[in-house]
Amino acid sequence: MTILINNLPFILQGLTMTLGLAAVTLVFATIIAFVVGTLGATRIGWLRAVTRTYVEICRDIPLIVNIFFVFFGAPLLGIELSPFAAVTVGLSLWGGANGAEIVRGGLEAVPRHQSESAKALGLKGWEIFIYIIGPQALRSILPPFIGLLTLVIQSTSLGALVGVTEFFRVGQIIIERTTLMEGWNPAFTVYGAVLLIYFVICSSLTWFGRRLERRMRRESKGGGVLNATLVEAAPTLP
Amino acid sequence: MSFDVAYLWAQVPALLRGLVMTVEVSAISIVLSIIVGLLGAAIRMLHVPVLRQVAAGYVEFIRNTPLLAQLFFIFYGLPTIGVTLSLFWSGVLSLTLWAGAYQMENIRGGLETVVKGLREAAFSLGLSPWRFFRLIAAPLAVRVALPAMLNTSISLLKNSSYLQAIGLTELTFVAIDRISMDFRTLEMFSALCGIYLTLVLVLSLFTNRLAYHLQKPFRV
Repeated sequence: MTILINNLPFILQGLTMTLGLAAVTLVFATIIAFVVGTLGATRIGWLRAVTRTYVEICRDIPLIVNIFFVFFGAPLLGIELSPFAAVTVGLSLWGGANGAEIVRGGLEAVPRHQSESAKALGLKGWEIFIYIIGPQALRSILPPFIGLLTLVIQSTSLGALVGVTEFFRVGQIIIERTTLMEGWNPAFTVYGAVLLIYFVICSSLTWFGRRLERRMRRESKGGGVLNATLVEAAPTLP
Repeated sequence: MSFDVAYLWAQVPALLRGLVMTVEVSAISIVLSIIVGLLGAAIRMLHVPVLRQVAAGYVEFIRNTPLLAQLFFIFYGLPTIGVTLSLFWSGVLSLTLWAGAYQMENIRGGLETVVKGLREAAFSLGLSPWRFFRLIAAPLAVRVALPAMLNTSISLLKNSSYLQAIGLTELTFVAIDRISMDFRTLEMFSALCGIYLTLVLVLSLFTNRLAYHLQKPFRV
């Protein structure tokens, strides 16, 4: 316990790095998810094929391989990527692919008659998307997106493998340091504490996501027109 | 830098050894995790007093912590309190515990859809709870949950690459090891992607066969 208190500033620094990494990743992943997901929900054949390929490749390759590929592969293209940037890119590509599936599922879950009625009323294509389909899809997209966020936070721990000093790496460093300086190995306590802190962060998010989902479901039940079925598609695991 | 096929060809034996390790560790963990999932689902369905809360807590804990931290806790943390497992079995244990939680949820989901009036029917026929689960509920639930269970198994297969972090010489470890020596990044990663995609495909095909086989008694 005392090692944790003694290293508190260092631990907080790691936590900040983890949350920062997760936040930056979330922004990029969300952008990718909405662009790719929307394109994937269109009825244009080749667009669907291209987005499908991207999504499948990113989801079927282990996330670690993905991150290592960006980390070791970027120099081949003549780009110098810091470990932080490499992890961000790797995680965003992966998160974006998973998010795209959520977005596509949400858009396709909006009943066909919604867009047909809107068209009959004389709305233009983009108006239908922004005013009719989008808002209805959003409520089924949001809860699984929070699930994705917890997965992103968990996956930032992979940054430790390429040398980002985030929360998990901080734990490792504390263990190495204590073993060297004080001659005993606090691995059990430190990794236990690391697990607990991740658990507190992620489970509160999960809890929030579940509440949101219940609310959305209640609202869409009473909402008459807004009866888009909630997507079951939980994001696939890292 | 051009793509060097001859180099890749020379690395085939090393990659194959890694592949064998990946398949071995994944296969054992998949089987064990399904057993964990079945047991947990049984405990939660039959409302076994204390164990039920333990199972629920276990699922929440696994789902809300990173696999990497779980793995390091098992491989580096447990030995300091006197529980030492070999490299291979640490890997199997962490993958099993991780996937077991997801399998439990999958099977529970399957149970919810099939077991509504069945329980009363079985109990009125005089079946004990455990026999009801074993003979009636589980076989039906597994058939329903098979797609979800396949997804978890695929994730487990992919996540076996986490074991390279503790030094198990599986596929990813071999590839990264070669890259850090020869800097043939592109060749190695295309090989990795190809192999993982094939593995995922093979596993899906196998599950489809299994689903077909399991549905046989119900087909007219």
